[in-house]
Parts: sequence; C-alpha cells; structure tokens
Amino acid sequence: MSVITWKIGGPAGFGIMSAGPMFAMALKRSGYSVHGYPEYPSIIRGGYNNYHVTFSDKPVFSVYNRCDILVALDKVVFDSETITKNMIVIADFDNIKGTEDLECKKVNIPFKKILKDNELPDIVKNSIALGVSAKILGIDEEILFTLFKENYPAKVLDMNISAAKIGMEFCLDEMKFKVPKGNSNFKDNLLMTGNEAIALGAVKAGLGFYSTYPMTPASSILHYLAKLEEKYGIIVKHTEDEISGIIMAIGASYAGVRAMTGTSGGGLSLMTEGVGLAAITETPLVIALSQRPGPATGMPTWTEQADLKFVLNISQDEFVKIVLTPGDLNELFYMTFEAFNLADRYQVPVFVLTDKFLSESHFCEAIFSDNGLKIDRGFIFEGNSEAPMEFFPRYKEVENGIPMKSNPGTPGGLYKAPGNEHDEFGFVATDSRTRIKNQDRRFKKEEFIKKELPLPRLYGAKEAEITFVCWGSTKQPLMEALKHTDKFNFFHFSAVNPIDWEKVKELLKDKNLVAIETNYTGQLASVIAEKTGIVIKDKYLKYDGRPFFVEEIIEFVKRGN
Amino acid sequence: MKAMDFNSGKIPVWCPGCGNFAIWNAIKGALADLEINGKDVVNISGIGCSGKMLNHLRTYGFHTLHGRTLPVATGVKLSNHKLTVVVNGGDGDGYGMGVGHFIHAIRRNLDVTYLVHDNHIYGLTTGQASPTTDRGLKSKSTPHGVIDEPLNPLAVALNAGATFVARGYSGEVEHLKELIKEGINYNGFAYIDILQPCVTFGKTYSYEYYDERIYKLDESYDFTNFDNAMEKIWEKEKIALGIIYKKERDEYASLHPQLKDDILVNSTGKLRDILEELEKFK
Ligand SMILES: Cc1ncc(C[n+]2csc(CCOP(=O)(O)OP(=O)(O)O)c2C)c(N)n1
Ligand code: SF4
Repeated sequence: MSVITWKIGGPAGFGIMSAGPMFAMALKRSGYSVHGYPEYPSIIRGGYNNYHVTFSDKPVFSVYNRCDILVALDKVVFDSETITKNMIVIADFDNIKGTEDLECKKVNIPFKKILKDNELPDIVKNSIALGVSAKILGIDEEILFTLFKENYPAKVLDMNISAAKIGMEFCLDEMKFKVPKGNSNFKDNLLMTGNEAIALGAVKAGLGFYSTYPMTPASSILHYLAKLEEKYGIIVKHTEDEISGIIMAIGASYAGVRAMTGTSGGGLSLMTEGVGLAAITETPLVIALSQRPGPATGMPTWTEQADLKFVLNISQDEFVKIVLTPGDLNELFYMTFEAFNLADRYQVPVFVLTDKFLSESHFCEAIFSDNGLKIDRGFIFEGNSEAPMEFFPRYKEVENGIPMKSNPGTPGGLYKAPGNEHDEFGFVATDSRTRIKNQDRRFKKEEFIKKELPLPRLYGAKEAEITFVCWGSTKQPLMEALKHTDKFNFFHFSAVNPIDWEKVKELLKDKNLVAIETNYTGQLASVIAEKTGIVIKDKYLKYDGRPFFVEEIIEFVKRGN
Repeated sequence: MKAMDFNSGKIPVWCPGCGNFAIWNAIKGALADLEINGKDVVNISGIGCSGKMLNHLRTYGFHTLHGRTLPVATGVKLSNHKLTVVVNGGDGDGYGMGVGHFIHAIRRNLDVTYLVHDNHIYGLTTGQASPTTDRGLKSKSTPHGVIDEPLNPLAVALNAGATFVARGYSGEVEHLKELIKEGINYNGFAYIDILQPCVTFGKTYSYEYYDERIYKLDESYDFTNFDNAMEKIWEKEKIALGIIYKKERDEYASLHPQLKDDILVNSTGKLRDILEELEKFK
C-alpha cells in the first residue's frame, strides 16, 4: 500500500493552520483517506507551525515521522525539519541561505518574486503553496478552489485563487509525484477533529448547557458549541473560571438540563471540588478532558496521556465515577452521546478522556449514523399535584442503588441537594447509619455500570508475538502500524472505570504484554496491576509531547525480536 | 400560603439570638406575601451558618460548596428562568471565596435575589476574621488584630455595575421582608447585604452596635442617583438601610434568543438531527 505524507510549515501567523486542513480536505474530496496532524507552539506570532497530512487510497489512521513532500514557507522550516534525499521540498530556494547543498528534490518556487510582481500580500503565500502542491499531486483545481470559496471571505477570495493559479504555472511536468488514484469510497467520509466529534455527540444527545473556561486543547469544543448554540437552542458559557464552569453546569443539570463541561488538566484541578459536589448530590454531569503534558501550565499545545490516575482518584473520599477513553472519531461521538445516558441513568460524573493528538488532529471516518441511538433520561419524578408542597425522597433507592430525580418546579418533588451527607430528602445527616446506607447504595451502582461499559477490544491477528495494551488515542498509531507488520496485535481500552476486571484478566492472561502509553509511568499498566494482579513489565512509553509516530512502533516491534 | 407553610419542619440549629432567625422569617414572609409556591422556588445556599438556611425552607434547595452559590444559581436560572431563585451565603462565603463570582453575577444581571448574611466574621468555623471585619479587630485567625483594610461590598457591587443594591438588618424583620420582596420582584440581580449579628463570635457587631447606628432611607432619598448611593455607602458613623441604588437594566436570561419561547429544560435531552452539520465535514 502506498501512504504519502505532505507537510506544510512556516512561522506562526503564516496561515499554516488554515492551509493544512484545507489541503487535507482537498485530498479527501479527491478520494483519499486522510489524517492531519498539527504542531504549533503556544504563541501567536513567530515560532514554528506545521501541519502534517498523511493520505492513501486505503484507510489511514495516524501520523508518520517521514515526510514525502515538504512545503517550506520560510527559513524556520529548515531549522526545524530533517531534510532527506528522497524528499520533495517546495521552497523559495533563491531566497533562503544555507539550502544550497541540501540533497533533496528541490521545487524552487520564487514566492518573494511572485508576490512582488503580482502585487500580492504576504498572507497569500500559503495559497501559492497549495496551488503548487495541488499541481504536483494531480489534485483537480476545482476541488481546491471550491474549498477556497468555502473558507475565504469574498473580498480575499479572488486574490487567493489567482495566487494558487500562479503557483500552479510554476510546476513543470517532471515535478509531478506519482500517487495512487483516489478511491470514491472516501468521498462521503467525514474529515473532522476529535473535539468536533465530542461536540457533535453532545449535540446529538440533546445537550442543553455547556459551560467552561478556555484551555488548550479543550477550547475548540467550546468554540464549536458556541457557534451552534442558537441553531440548536443550547446555552454555551465562557465563565469567569473553571470553578464557575463546572458549578454552573451542575446547577443546570440539577434544574433538569443535560449539561457538560470540558477542560484540560489545569482546569480540571480547579474543577476537582465540583466533581465531588456532582458526585454527592448525584447530579448527572459529563466532563470532557483533553490532556496535555505537565502539571501546572506544562506544554499547552502538545500531547500526553498522563491524567488517567488523576481522574480515577479525583476529589477527596471515594465515589463512583465513569471514565471513558475513546480512541477514534466514532468512539468519541458515540461514547460522548452515551456519556449523557450513563450520567442520567446512574447520576454520577462521567469523564470522556481525550488528548491534544486526538482532540485537534483531523481524522477521516464514515459518517455517524442514527442507528440504535436512544435517549435515556433515567428515573424522573412526574410530580404530584395533590400535594405540591410535599418533600420527596430524592435519595431513596429506586433500583440498583439509583434514586429518582425530581426537577425543580415539579409539584410534590421538593428536596434538597446538598454537598453534605444527607438523608433521603436531602437534609444534612451525620449519623453513622445514614452514612453507611448512602455509601453502600451509591457504590451499588458500580456493579450495574460495569455490565454496560465496553471491555478492551483486540485489534490485529488473534495471536501475535507482542500484544500491546493501550487506551485512548494510542489506538490510532497502532492501527496504522498494523498495516506494516503482523508481529503484534493490541488491546485497546475505550473505557477504564468501572469495568469487569475479572473478564479483563481472562483476556490478558498468557500474552506477551507491552504497555504502550504517552506518559512516564505507564498509568494504565499500573491500574491493570492494581485491579487484576497482572504486572506488565514491558512498557513502551513516550513523554516528549508528541504522539507515537508509526515508524517508531514498527522499529520497536522489530527490536523486540 | 402563609409564612408558616414555608417551614421545612427542621428545627434550626443557629445559636439562640442569632441574626439568621430574622432572615429566615423575612424570607418566608416575603414568599408568602408574594404568593409564590414553594415548588417554584429554589434556595441556593453556601457554606457557613448562613448556608444552613437550606434546611429550613419548604422549597427546592441546593447546598453548594463554600463560595459557589452564584454559579449554581446561574445554571439553574438559565435552565429554568420561570423559577424564583433565592441565594443565601455569608460574608466569608460571598466576599472571600466567592467574590469573583459575585462580580461576574453582577455583570450578567441574572434575575436572582442574593442575600448575604454579613456578620463580619466567620461563624461556622468559630470566629475568624472575614473580609468585612474592621481593622484592628482581634479574632482567632488575627490575634494581633486585622491589618487588612475591610472590603466595602456595596461599593464593590456598585462599581461593578450592580443595579439593585440594598442593605437590610436582622433587627428590622419587617423592613427586611419588604426589601426581599422588592428584590424578588426586581427583574435582574437583586443584591441585599444583611447586617446579621453573630451573638457568639461577632461580639463587636452586636444588636446594640447596629441599633445605635442604623437609620432607614425614606421617600426623600433618590435611589436612582449613583452619586447619592456612593455617598450612602461610604458613610462612617451612620448606617443606611433600604434600597440604596436601583435602576432598570436588561435581565440576563432575556438576552438569550434560545430562551425566548420556552425554558431550556423543555428542549434538552431529545435526539437532535445533526445531518446538516455533518455535511460540512464532507
Ligand atoms: C473549600 C472550603 N474551605 C473551607 C471550608 C470551611 N468553612 C466552612 S464555613 C466557613 C466560613 C463561613 O463564614 P461565612 O461565610 O462568613 O458564614 P457564617 O458561618 O458566618 O454564616 C469556612 C471557612 C469549607 N467548607 N470549604
Ligand atoms: S455562630 Fe454566630 S452566625 Fe453562627 S449560628 Fe451562632 S450566632 Fe449565628
């Protein structure tokens, strides 16, 4: 199979993050499966930005280290990228010192001269580059220009189209790159980011309220939902801080609305007390957590999966929480949808974990379907108009540890939702009997949730030399690496808590297990050890802020022999 | 319904003589006078002696975390703007922990009534200085005397753009009840700072202390004048009670086109058609 990679790079402010995704979409519309991976520093001007597209006539999942075609909009690219002999590099070589001796296939495009001769501003440099790239890869120019039309405001549209056309004219036939023909299978696929899939899963589930404070890489959930709020009748709030973000969502959920908040680790630190409040008041709540490296501010625009144990142990004392760890667009969409049902049915906090790689990269998957999607709001008290001012036993078990909710305004449904331990009506209680009864009842839910959450799933051949164990986004590079070798298979955990660990133990036994995670200690491996007694000694861990590149996994598997 | 009907049946555990009793009675009286049904009221309480109000009202209630009353109120009110939301918290709760939320609730002009039981001390944690404690006062946490300048919460509110700023007093229950009624009827954020003697730990700010200093604003006072209000708020010897500043302003929920036709609760949790959105990703 041929997988081709194209990368565009330049200083922040050069339009890399609009040109990259647009070109990825052009490729998809030309019939390829596409993956797009952005890298950028946490600054607005300067610094090196790049967007790396991987495409093929077969499904692609993840990013390679290798780059076949590199578009270098500025010198900074040559300082940051390793240029190899086989690479095609598109750049204004006449104007970039130090590139004379580079051994690569140079496509010399005089960006500076083109801009000057045609009196075009610097900002269309990226469009010239897209024109060149389209020509070299044989992309139909109409596909590209339609995308320009969809993305650029009318007043700059013509300028960008003419820039792209000028770029195309500079391409000679010998510059063309041999690519497999596009495959119409992918034309109807979606090309979207993980955060968009989360947002759409929530909208589909009837989200009513989303409140949070911006924090990369979760912010784009906020941005996308804010765009949709009037269309779908949702309230989206950028609050004064994360504390307010989670507490407002709890208030909305208490009032009877499906509510969600989303953040990254630093924001979750502030929300921690609120998670406990949702737990003890048994207020349904969905929390999307997009992980990034580092405690405190860490590396805002990079990726890591190191908050699993934080989430599993979040807040003081012990309580039931659901932790979902989806690994692709479909899982993000359907599991976020289901997160609302789980939250309503069991009245516990539900986490949807993602990370920068999954949240902000573009993935290509078949359209989400309605099939089998059902809304479950759990037990809700209908009211009793005969006795409207009666208190209601809100915290009395109805089934499986689960009590019945009553929305404010419901006659005869009066109750108190307290952060304190409480009796059936929600009045503060501290006697030992009540405390034990409540803890026992609330933990009873775990047995039933366990039966609903997915067990780790095996991908690849049934038997293999190495069985990787992963969670969340690491599924993507493993899926891609599976295309190159059959020496490994892997288990992907799309949910971690609460699941049936006895069954997990059966699945994992007698295998040559290797934990593969982007964190320093191997957090899932440690949870597995705690829950099953299976100690996974071999770990392949990465914590440099980058996802696993496909070649790295193949290398590792080879070394393992 | 009569004021008594708003009793939850739980006997308050406030110290005998605590100013919180009067606030409790004033709230019940206000709800009864306004003929609001308890099923349409949500009382949101903070943490502290003030927060115990939750237990004593026959209404819906949410007992949130320390300092986090107003974000809960915002979520509740935007989800169901037909509900009457009454918020109770202390000066430590609202001006210490929750001061950020206080300012932002003012900016939003959410239609809730915010009652701060201002006893100038932390009651429940047995008598530490609060943000409104005067300089020099010795407390458990300031045995050498407070050296921080006290916060003037009404001035903070006015400067943040509050359009209903009032002061009540536990020693004047009828007056306080009328203020709370005005607050509930006000279409926006009605903020009432209530002088509430803590008879156990707040010995300085006693009934005698207040009785000597308070006076009620009468009809000659123009509460629509911002400068008048500022002057009242900074008075040193005397303490004015009543509506100090009031003005009409767009109420928060009304600024949401999503809430024009119905409350949010009625549209949430239904399967939505998102095909049109999905098309954009093709
Ligand atoms: C996060 C957190 N910190 C501290 C406390 C302990 N605490 C409970 S009440 C209180 C002070 C309350 O003072 P105030 O708001 O003035 O209310 P009062 O008791 O005087 O009515 C404190 C510090 C807490 N519950 N939560
Ligand atoms: S400690 Fe003070 S505020 Fe608390 S109940 Fe007693 S008198 Fe009231």
